[in-house]
Order: sequence, then C-alpha cells, then structure tokens
Amino acid sequence: MLALRLARGAHPLVLLRRLLVATASAGVGFLLLSALTHALSHPGESSSSLLRLSWCLIPLAATVQFAVAVARTDPSTRPRTGLSAVGLGPGRLAVLAAVSTTLSATLGSMVALLFFLHLRGDLTGLPFDGAAAELLAADQPLPLAAALILLTLAPLTATAAAALALRPRTAEPAPDALPKPPAAPGGLPWGCALTAAGLAVGTYAARVKGGATVQLPGELDAHPLGVLLGWALTAVGLAVAGPALTHFCGRLLQTRRPGGVRLIAGRILMAEARRIGRPLGVLCAVASAAIAAWALYDAGPGPFGPLTGLGATLVIACTTATLLTAVTDARYARSTAVQGLRELGAPAKSFRLAAGLRTLVLLLVFAPLTWAVATLAAAPLTG
Amino acid sequence: MVAPPDNDVIWARSLHHSHNGSPALAGVSLGVREGEVLAVHGPRGSGKTTLLRCLSGQTVADEGEVSFNGSALHTLPPYRRERLRRERFAWIGPESSLVPELTVWENAALPLLLRGTPRRQAKAQAQEWLDHLDIGPLARQRPHALSQAQRQRVATARAIAAAPTVLFADEPTASLHRLDRAQLLRTMLAAIRSHRITVVLATHDPEVAALADRTAFLVDGRRVSSLSAAETEGRAECSLSV
Repeated sequence: MLALRLARGAHPLVLLRRLLVATASAGVGFLLLSALTHALSHPGESSSSLLRLSWCLIPLAATVQFAVAVARTDPSTRPRTGLSAVGLGPGRLAVLAAVSTTLSATLGSMVALLFFLHLRGDLTGLPFDGAAAELLAADQPLPLAAALILLTLAPLTATAAAALALRPRTAEPAPDALPKPPAAPGGLPWGCALTAAGLAVGTYAARVKGGATVQLPGELDAHPLGVLLGWALTAVGLAVAGPALTHFCGRLLQTRRPGGVRLIAGRILMAEARRIGRPLGVLCAVASAAIAAWALYDAGPGPFGPLTGLGATLVIACTTATLLTAVTDARYARSTAVQGLRELGAPAKSFRLAAGLRTLVLLLVFAPLTWAVATLAAAPLTG
Repeated sequence: MVAPPDNDVIWARSLHHSHNGSPALAGVSLGVREGEVLAVHGPRGSGKTTLLRCLSGQTVADEGEVSFNGSALHTLPPYRRERLRRERFAWIGPESSLVPELTVWENAALPLLLRGTPRRQAKAQAQEWLDHLDIGPLARQRPHALSQAQRQRVATARAIAAAPTVLFADEPTASLHRLDRAQLLRTMLAAIRSHRITVVLATHDPEVAALADRTAFLVDGRRVSSLSAAETEGRAECSLSV
C-alpha cells in the first residue's frame, strides 16, 4: 500500500518511467504469447517454436535491465533520513522498490493479455478485434497455465533483478560524508578481447560450411550458429568495455590545460563512468547489432515481419531509455555539487555547455566504434 | 528611491522576504563599509542566511532594495547577478560544498578558472592561499580524504584566492570544533584584513561575532540594538537539552 501511496505523490516524470516499464513488459508479454500461438498452430515444429521463444529472451533481458534502472533511480525508494528515522531503512526501501517494479510489470502483462485476446478475437466490441486471428491461432483454445507462466516471466525476473540490485550491501554513509569517487573502471582489456574474439568467431563461422545453423526471426535462410555466437560475444565485449571507454572520454575532455568548464565536464564524466558507461556500452552493442541486421535484411529476400519489428523496437527503446534513466540518476547525484557551484556564481550556461561537451565527446568516441563493429560483424554475412 | 551612501559597498533598505508564507526578513536595513568585517549576529532562524543570500544577489527579496557600489543589485537580471557573484563576491557556507570530483587545488582555483584565468596562474594563486591556510601539502588530494575542518579551509581558500570585493561567510565555522574554529577564524580574518576584503559574517556564536569590527543584531527578521533578550531565551533552551 505504501508503494501505491508514494506513487500517487510522485513526479510525473517518475510515473512516466514506470509507465514505460509497464509498456516494455506488455511488449515482452505479447511476444511470448505470440511464440506460444506459433507452437499451438505448428504442433510438429517444436524446434522452430523453441527458437522463437528463445529469441524473446533478448527483449526480456532489455526490459529487465530497464526495470532495474528505473527501480534504482526511483526517488521514492532512495534512502532518506526522514524515512530511516521512522524505521524504513535501506532494506525495507529495497523491498518497496521491488514491489513497485512488480506492480508496473504486472500491469503491463495484463494489458498484453487483454490486447492479445482482443487481436485474437476472443474479446469483442472494439475496433480491430480479431484482426490477427489467423496469426495468433484463434482456432485453437489457449492453454491457460502456459499463458500465465509466460506472462509472469517478465514481472518475476524484473522483481528479482531489482531486489538483487538494490539489496543493501554496505553500511550507510554518514550524512555529512562526501562520496568517495569510484576508482577508474577496468574492463577495457577484457572488452577488447571479447569484441575481437566475437568478430573472429563470426568471420570464421561464416566461411565454414555445413555446421549448425540458426534462423533469424522473420527470415527464411539460416545462418551458421557461430556467426550469432560471434555477435553475442561482440555485444558482451562492448558492454564490458563501456565504463572504461567513458572514463577515457572524460580524460580526453581535459587534455591540454582545461579551463573551468572542460575540467568539470571531464571530471564528472570520469566519476560517472560506471553509472553511464555500462548502459552506453549495451546501447552501443544493440546499435551495432541493429546496423548489421539492417544490412542483412536489406540484402535478404524481404522485409521482416511485425513481431520481429516489435521485438527490435522494444530492445532499442529499452536500452535507450535505460541510458537516459542513468543520465537522470547521475544528474540527481551531483545536484548538491551543482548547488555549491551556483553559490560561487557559475552561470547556468556553463552547466549546459559542460553537458553538451560530454555528449559530444561520447558521440565522437562511441559512434565510429559502433559503426566499425557493425560493419565488421555484417561483413562475413553479406559478403 | 533613497540614494545609497557613498562609502557603503553593500547597502540594503527595508528588506522583506518570506519563504512560502513564513516570514524570514521583516524590514532589515543595513550598510557595509568598505574593508570592514560586519557580523550579522542572531539566533537560529533569525533570517541571517536569507539576509546574506539577498545581499549577495542569490535571492531577490520580496520588497526592499539592495545596492552594490552605489548601483542597484535587486533589479539586475539573473545572469548579471551571477556574473557579479563570480567576479566580485565570494561565498563560504556552513558546509564546504566542494566539488567531489576535483582535487583540493582545483577546487580552490575553480572561481578563477570559471572567470577564464589561465590555468597556471589560477593554480599558483590557489596554491598560495592553500599554503597560507596550512593545507598546502593536501593540494593533490580529493575532498573525501579530508577532515571537516580541512574541507572548510579549502572552501575559505577558494573564497579568498579569487580576490573578491565582498566575502559572504554564512556560519563558516558552525560544523567545526572549538580549536579548529578559533584557528580558522583567526587565519581567515588576518588574511582578509591584509587584503582589505569587505566581509559580511553571519553567526549565532557571540565569540565569533566579537572578532568583527561591527555587529548587527538580528532577531526574527528584524534588526535590534542588542541580543540580550534573545540570548537568555537561547540559553534556557540549551540548559534543558543538556
């Protein structure tokens, strides 16, 4: 009840973020139910249905990542001295965050079920009812238990991940203690190694004929399994290297005698390397996969179907939203320092300039990287 | 509008201000002469911080006038007041409010860097004041590694290194122990007097107020001639809590 009461007084932006979690969860629920209907209408092709189901794991992972980011930045679940004084410490607040996540994700799943039944033609009275009756196997009865299990998948994983990510680990810092700046993130060697290995595996697998093959969703010709493994390795490598690259960008900003604005912008980027770098690396990996896939579908026989489109949109939207949420969180975390700078008379313009500089340097480093990885990953498939 | 006196650096007339309906200032008039240390002395909640924020142009009072060097401050647009704060004023708060990402010397040199002073010169100036305040060897540390007293010294160095015309100090020693407090104040005031910086010092501590050239007493947002009545009230509260 407290979670609901706190949600009622929350800022519209916070509510919007939760609504986005619900939407993402609805999308995943719909995709999972569609995979179920494929299994219902093609009883003989269990391996193909299983493949469809496993492709749904990527949107599910993106949704869970986004839900955790939202739970982490939710102001109503941040440790507050006032609530701590009445006995609502960090442990209880983690529970509260998990409950909020469950609420929004479950809401999304319910909407997904209603929409699914509506498109199947089971619920009537609205426009488009039964519009996708054939695709969604309307002639077969829906197995209730299977549908419910699939629908609870997103809320359950999101809740578990949020509770795990927010569990209180260390003792609370004293209120007047300054936060210790985190050490420089490692992971650049590992990231580079994984990315390089992924590209090598992909290229090698594309040349070898007669191995295990996997079909991309919505596409007819199969690709060697090794190519997809290579892609996955590359994506993991980029995500691992993200924080270290962000840290490097911060260092890059302050080269050659920085003035006040460049100094602050660079140091802030270095301090936030962990917070922003990870989602940025994931987004970079997703973007490079999207570019490579685009090149692939462009070279292939036809455009992809609506479900593949939904899944891809979901993944891209979730990773982008996760990055934006992390940026908002970082902004909140330095609000005290900004207040101090305002007292010194630092103009509002300089903060905007610093933010612009950070965005620019990140773009300059990450955009060519994404493009290069995408080109290299797509080369063996299209060439 | 009454013309402000010539020898006052900062001058305020009948300032009224309230926060969300609760009154903070109820008609305060004040003049600060050039090079003097003026203590604004009053108990907690008497409107000292609000007065300092109005005088330094961070807040515009609901009613009343503020002028700096003979020209009106309260009518200036926000960016002009920001520039004034950056180039002519300095601020020391009860918390040091250092930027945690920057090292000690970078924090101290920050106002100079924001003004566009070359890095080398800003560093030299900041280092000079850090040495003056006995924290020179800590210049390469980050603020989190420093004690509260050391951080407050960095904030002081940051304020003085920028060579301001007016220094606003809002309870600069409130979070310090007696020993640290006395030492920091003595060093600070000696440095200020040798550079003829005008200081407005808000404090609830009579010992601190006694170090100033002149004291303005503030009770419930009004200037009073002495603080005896308010002080006895404060003492009574203290004895209950001990």
